[in-house]
Amino acid sequence: MLSEIAFYGALETGLIYGLVAFGIYLSFRVLDFPDLTVDGSFPLGAAVAAMLIIEGWNPWLATGCAVLAGMAAGAVTAILNVKLNILNLLASILTMIALYSVNLRIMGRPNVALLTEETVLTPWYDLGLAFHQVPVLLFTLVAIVSLILLWRFMKSETGLAMRATGANARMARAQGIATGGMIILGVALSNGLVGLAGALFAQSQGAADVTMGVGVIVIGLASLIGGEAVITPSTVVRALLACVVGAIIYRLAIAFALNADVLGLQAQDLNLITAVLVTLAIVLPGVRTKIASRFTSKKA
Amino acid sequence: MISATDLRLTFGKGTPLENPALRGMSLTVNQGEFVTVIGSNGAGKSTFLNALAGEVMVDSGQIIVDNLDVTRLPTHKRAARVARVFQDPLAGTCENLSIEENLALAIKRGQSRGLTSAVKKQYLGQFRESLATLKLGLENRLGDKMGLLSGGQRQAVSLLMASLTPSSILLLDEHTAALDPKTANFVLELTQQIIEEQKLTALMVTHSMKQALEVGSRTVMLHQGQVVFDIAGKDRDGLEVKDLLGLFEKQRGLEVDDDSLLLG
Repeated sequence: MLSEIAFYGALETGLIYGLVAFGIYLSFRVLDFPDLTVDGSFPLGAAVAAMLIIEGWNPWLATGCAVLAGMAAGAVTAILNVKLNILNLLASILTMIALYSVNLRIMGRPNVALLTEETVLTPWYDLGLAFHQVPVLLFTLVAIVSLILLWRFMKSETGLAMRATGANARMARAQGIATGGMIILGVALSNGLVGLAGALFAQSQGAADVTMGVGVIVIGLASLIGGEAVITPSTVVRALLACVVGAIIYRLAIAFALNADVLGLQAQDLNLITAVLVTLAIVLPGVRTKIASRFTSKKA
Repeated sequence: MISATDLRLTFGKGTPLENPALRGMSLTVNQGEFVTVIGSNGAGKSTFLNALAGEVMVDSGQIIVDNLDVTRLPTHKRAARVARVFQDPLAGTCENLSIEENLALAIKRGQSRGLTSAVKKQYLGQFRESLATLKLGLENRLGDKMGLLSGGQRQAVSLLMASLTPSSILLLDEHTAALDPKTANFVLELTQQIIEEQKLTALMVTHSMKQALEVGSRTVMLHQGQVVFDIAGKDRDGLEVKDLLGLFEKQRGLEVDDDSLLLG
């Protein structure tokens, strides 16, 4: 079974990936825009926050800049797609690749340690909680605030216009919605959230690394799809809750798989486990309905 | 008033599939007129409507809507003046949004959208009232997903959405063609009722000559991207499908060979 520290560790990363899942929900689900920029905007957020913190900036201000950097990266992807007519998936891959260089430039080296710096977590250690509980508390608050803000946004006039853009662009245009602008705004917001996640991740792990973005898109998708399997996303608030719940379940499943000695899995198997989990999450709901329909057709 | 002057548009220019869809199409629609547009497949009906809406840009010509030259404006910048109902009942609404959210999108057609709540309490009374005129019981289902409604119901709501805010012209693109006959009749009656009550200026494309003569105040026939005839008032009263065919043959010296026009 899981140790207490492994459990809290899974919660901590799960909450951070919940933010990533929010971003992926915005791009993949709301806008129907398969965006892989996140693999670059996650380490971008980490790099920006880490460098500014080392420069002596207030960690929250540094985190805010990480959000802005993520938004800029997302805007680049969307502009490549909307203004230059590059296929959305390809546009995001181009930005992702470019960000690898950008991130190295920002940090000046492949990784930057933050262990001795003051981070957004530092003041919270004075509360008297156990060391491994502090990040969970803070990230829960961040996740709740982000969820509420996103939810309010989706219910606003602009948010509704964004949802219409992804669901039925022709109808959206006929209603006077500038669909191109909505895509740019939405993909920017999505990557802003991922930049935030990257900044928090670097601060909780004590380092920013140029390779920390590899596979973030798959983990985010795994969280999104897994969450949707648990909480049917029939309303916006349920869809957002599914993102966080899915991310936590995913991290717990990974922690369990790695900690259960009987399975014989080790840390290097992480990406394989992720791929298997995502495949299962995508395939299983379909299999379930197939079996159900076979059952009903036999009856009839 | 809407005026389209000498619109020309060729699809696939310079390719073997070059297709001149509009060849000097001109039409002026006065305020309060309800014009029905007919023509065989490929006559340019849908292209003309798309050109008015902004979904396609004409190669040359000019489109003026209420003294504003909209020729080069994209769809969303014309939306304040141009309302539209599509042929496909699924195209005019968002199925994964609720009925009230769809209506809330439509009530802000062509206006700027901010960060205040989209479905405002003060709208709900108006939404219920307009939905009640459909007599489909939808006024009690504001929170239901659009996708739960039938094609006919969705087309009725699309019509309502198009007439929720004032427009210079309402474009109806064969909006009853994809419905079963009974539902098509219902939607057509609803269309007439809304246009009459709100004194809308409308352009309705139809595939049926019978419908084109029964509905509206003026009928325009397109052929090969041009207006071949345009009748209104006394000339139009009492006209039947066979008279229309005669007119067409006289104008063009052609036989109408499109069965669907005769059958409609």
